[in-house]
Amino acid sequence: GCWFPSLEPQDIVYRSGSCRKLRVGKSGATLDFARQLGHFFVDHPEDAFGSLGRLLHKNFYLGNSKLKRPARNSTIRMTALMEDIDRLEARRGCPRQHLASRLRWFSHLCRDWLFEVPLGLLADCLHEELMQQWSNLLFDDSFTGGALAWLPPEDGATPVGRLVHPGGQAMNHLYFQDVVLEELPCAQGSPQQFELSGRIRQVAAARVDGQDFVGVRSDYHCGVWRVPGKTGAAPTPLQVIRTDMPASCLTVSPHLPGELSVCTQSGTIYLWSVETGLQQLRHDPQTMFFRDYSPWRWSDFTAHPRVLSCADRTGVQCLDARAPKRCHFDLFKVGEEAGCQQGERVVLPMYLGKAHPSQYLVTTQFSVYVLDERLPLVPVLKWAHMMKAPPLFAHLMPGKPGRSHKVLLGASRTQELLLLQYRGKRSSCRGGSQSACQLAGTPQKLHNIAGCLQHLPTQLPHRHHLLQQRLTAPAAGLAGTLQEDGPHKSMLIFHLSEAGDVFCQRLTHKATQPPAPPSRDEATTAPGSSPLFEAAASSPQGLGAAALRYRRWLRAFSRACKEPPRHSWPPSLSQRRLFTHRDLEGPAGPSSLQRQMRQRLRQTMEEGGRIQRWEPLALQPPPLPQTLEPAGGPDPLSTRLTAAWAGDWEQWWEERTSFSVAQRQRALRERRRRQKRAKGRCSLSASFTSSLTYQSELSELSDAGPQLLSPSCPPILSQEGSPPAGSPPLRSLPTSPAPEEALLSSQSLRCRGIPKERRKTLRDYLSVWAEGPPEPPEPLGSQASQLCIPSSQSQLSSASQPRRKRPRMGF
Amino acid sequence: SSNEHKLNFKKSKEACLSYIQDALLQKQWKRAAEFLTCYVESLEKDYSREHIGPSEMIWRIGTEILWHHSQSSMKEFNCFIEQMKTLGVKRYLKVCLEHVFHLLLNGQIDEAYQNLSLAESWRFGEQTAIQDKEMKLIQAYRGLLDYYSWSKQKNILLEHGEDGFSDLAVEQEMHGYFRKAAVNLKEIIKIPGVWDVFVKCYVDLLEFYGDHNEAHQVLNEYAYNSKFPANPNAHVYLYQFLKRQGESKKSLISALKILHDVVPSHELMIDFNTMLQKSKKRKKRRLGLEVIFTALDYAGWKENAKAWSCLARQVKQIVISEKHLDWIKQEWSSRKDWWPAFHFSRYLAKRNWQENKSLSYEKALVAGLLLGKDCKYFKYVSHQGCKAQLKRFRMLKKFVNRHNLVYLRISG
Repeated sequence: GCWFPSLEPQDIVYRSGSCRKLRVGKSGATLDFARQLGHFFVDHPEDAFGSLGRLLHKNFYLGNSKLKRPARNSTIRMTALMEDIDRLEARRGCPRQHLASRLRWFSHLCRDWLFEVPLGLLADCLHEELMQQWSNLLFDDSFTGGALAWLPPEDGATPVGRLVHPGGQAMNHLYFQDVVLEELPCAQGSPQQFELSGRIRQVAAARVDGQDFVGVRSDYHCGVWRVPGKTGAAPTPLQVIRTDMPASCLTVSPHLPGELSVCTQSGTIYLWSVETGLQQLRHDPQTMFFRDYSPWRWSDFTAHPRVLSCADRTGVQCLDARAPKRCHFDLFKVGEEAGCQQGERVVLPMYLGKAHPSQYLVTTQFSVYVLDERLPLVPVLKWAHMMKAPPLFAHLMPGKPGRSHKVLLGASRTQELLLLQYRGKRSSCRGGSQSACQLAGTPQKLHNIAGCLQHLPTQLPHRHHLLQQRLTAPAAGLAGTLQEDGPHKSMLIFHLSEAGDVFCQRLTHKATQPPAPPSRDEATTAPGSSPLFEAAASSPQGLGAAALRYRRWLRAFSRACKEPPRHSWPPSLSQRRLFTHRDLEGPAGPSSLQRQMRQRLRQTMEEGGRIQRWEPLALQPPPLPQTLEPAGGPDPLSTRLTAAWAGDWEQWWEERTSFSVAQRQRALRERRRRQKRAKGRCSLSASFTSSLTYQSELSELSDAGPQLLSPSCPPILSQEGSPPAGSPPLRSLPTSPAPEEALLSSQSLRCRGIPKERRKTLRDYLSVWAEGPPEPPEPLGSQASQLCIPSSQSQLSSASQPRRKRPRMGF
Repeated sequence: SSNEHKLNFKKSKEACLSYIQDALLQKQWKRAAEFLTCYVESLEKDYSREHIGPSEMIWRIGTEILWHHSQSSMKEFNCFIEQMKTLGVKRYLKVCLEHVFHLLLNGQIDEAYQNLSLAESWRFGEQTAIQDKEMKLIQAYRGLLDYYSWSKQKNILLEHGEDGFSDLAVEQEMHGYFRKAAVNLKEIIKIPGVWDVFVKCYVDLLEFYGDHNEAHQVLNEYAYNSKFPANPNAHVYLYQFLKRQGESKKSLISALKILHDVVPSHELMIDFNTMLQKSKKRKKRRLGLEVIFTALDYAGWKENAKAWSCLARQVKQIVISEKHLDWIKQEWSSRKDWWPAFHFSRYLAKRNWQENKSLSYEKALVAGLLLGKDCKYFKYVSHQGCKAQLKRFRMLKKFVNRHNLVYLRISG
């Protein structure tokens, strides 16, 4: 089904015209604290003001009508306050932001007693959470280790392995899926499914004594399952533990059945045995070698079943579980011994026991190191991996004696996938000539999930966009297996995305030609095949099967996306209740004057000339009601210049200001009168206006960042033909208004006497029905004067875009 | 503005670099080469203060491309490297060394030697500490090549010596190589570091010329100087040297004792154990038991039949003599909670029996004595052994049955 895309930077970063200069990056992003606090109040009113709200709700009146005399003694009308709030919202980012005194008065009055949670405390919590979310956005390490595990078939048995991966909308379902390894691996039967109470962060597995033990980590719970070696045998949950702090690591012992190691963000490391329970090995909130703020900890097993490694961002230590305080040694230190760069940090350590009992892999954001625990601190292999994002996932596929070992590295956000092969000779002979650990051939970049988009059949634009969003979801895990089928050797790689899709590609081994230099790589990608379900190039039917399966997935995907959740249906309000028929009736075609003008324009254009003056101008007042300039006459600039030339510029200025003040007063009086009339007629529209926040949509549009859907809003676009994400909305040419735009423009609405609040509602309402590309925002020139008043254009275009829901903070 | 231009330039530089990396990782050498020619422009305004500047990038990437590019030749490669040498003065020695490795990989030993000599005579400004170290490395590698020539001459002489024919000129030349090699190798191993190759060659030279004291000293220094990283190989070399010299058991044991402390899972622990078992001293035999128990803790030793037979032999001895059962008890107490699952599970019994009968025999003996005759491992293996009518296994069963009470005393 659908999945919830995760938080995006634009969801929590403060965006407004005046703050655009602030860079998001090391200098510190401006997080939109106030907006999030506001969201909390709106989303959780019960938690925010529950008891006092209940006590006071009789004393607050939200309606529009005037209060009757007996009620007025104990009740205050909140409407004005609400309007002030709205105005404040609309004015966000305005440099001349005046706080409404009424609001200040109110907040001053009730700050101390209104809130259920003291405001300072709440703000602290929110701030902390925001910072946390922000740092997660910069680098989310909670998925370290990856949430995909491959349980290989037992030797000599039928080629049916098992994939263990999370799925479901919240990634809280654990699936055990049998997979038959054929030309194209395919799922067999329906998966065994367990519903867990939290989002699955990591799935780790190890085989001990012919049984697989699968450890599953979510933030506050870790569980372990046992999967018997026989194919088709049901996995049994063994034990669950709960942690107070989020767990950051769970690894399964490759030595002893039912043993795992758990780390929490408080810096505690446990050895967890299903039989004997938890044993705390270390508790140290500080990092080991130098200070680093990250609470991330990791732990893995080593060649000795009682010795565990423990890692933080600064390095890796090994400690003996029998005497954890006394017996430990440093395995890896970010520093000179390993030739580390400045700022280099450990990202993922991994025990390479399946390839060599004493070797260890350590990845940082820059390099990959292979270490030997017998000669600690000095890496036996180092290589700069050049990945754009730090490798959070690693998977080892041990080679048979004399062959290279394969290590897959994967990044989350960029979906990068890298294959590197190294040869570390097993030390078999005594001391004598052992070849050093070395890379075999050059590392190879493999196809990522998003890469298959270009191989898919062409889609409708909006569906293409959805598909793209789905396929570019961050990777959440990887696994792989080597397959030897007589002379055909191949490697299968599974790749899990955060949306819960598992992709698979096969690399086939091509024997190197005898004259080729021996240092060349041995596995090469099959050329020209689709990256998804990559099959051997020699088997077209394999490719066909992949395409077929892909089409099936696509169909299911679009079906899942087509059924929109109830709340996103276009609002089915009846038109009649809000507006009379006459309100909505547009002018019956262009007036004769307009027709005349058009004709003239066309004619002039044909002739290639220009129109010097619109002669019938005097006949019609300019249709700009809010303009502050006197209509007609020479333009203000030239009058001003003339005045200045003549030397009585000051007088001109006097005149002008007094004139505009008068003009403004008139406009205000006019508006108030209209509002009064409107209030009497319909109060629903007012409440509509206040429930809609259109404050930042204006700046949102001018920010050309990619627009992505919020976590809680399923990826549905209300309009076909809206521009794809990432492309900035056009803003160059204000085209001639289409009929419905004319209908929507504020002048035409005003002309028909529709009050301001209802105008907005109407526009929102109509734009839902409006087809066609969203309206370009107002040209920049006019924006300055309109910043404080919600402009009609910006409301229109914001409404025609998929409405962004507020990101919810983790309260 | 110029600032903007700088930014754009930086951006396009980064983009270009990422294209190159992309091509490299997909083995598209030609594409990478084309992008690299564009990237060379980034040298024009190299304001970067990054860890790796563009010139170093170009050197590294260029070498990689030329190494893999199907149409590149050695001549082109040399040409490129020469250019790189002039590009960054601070990197000169590093580039030289890399060039030498490349030449060596192509079998051009003489050219490599020439390059090293050339690099050695290079001087630029005041020598920094890093340069000094790199220079030492260059010299050391030259020493290594000298050693190579030396050993070639030595082999010629040895072959000729068998014919009873001696060539004075060749001998002279060989001695010359020795001197040159010795001087350079001696220098590098004074600096703390991991210099296994150099140390081995140097010791070989010294031993050939009978300078055992110097060799011993060098190895001692390499193994015991605390400034050097804890390098198990250093102890191995020392042990091997002592063994060659026919040193006393005592000094051999003390060398291995330290190796045991550093790397308890080293292969030499079997030798160590046999040596200790033969000893008449109780303390040493006690140590021997500890050594073999500790070695078998490691996953890499799980299926080492030799180690298991060592353990089985010693445990059997102790059980028969009924003396020092407390030794076993001590060793076993820290292992009894996890060895059964680690070594003596029914699954392993099955697999060991299928794969290696003698391993399963030794393990079954140990399991039977340590865990009693009802232990899964012993039960399965002895049952299978008796079924297969193997005399050895019948004896084993009898032996374990006879000493069945031992396990109670051990675990009690």
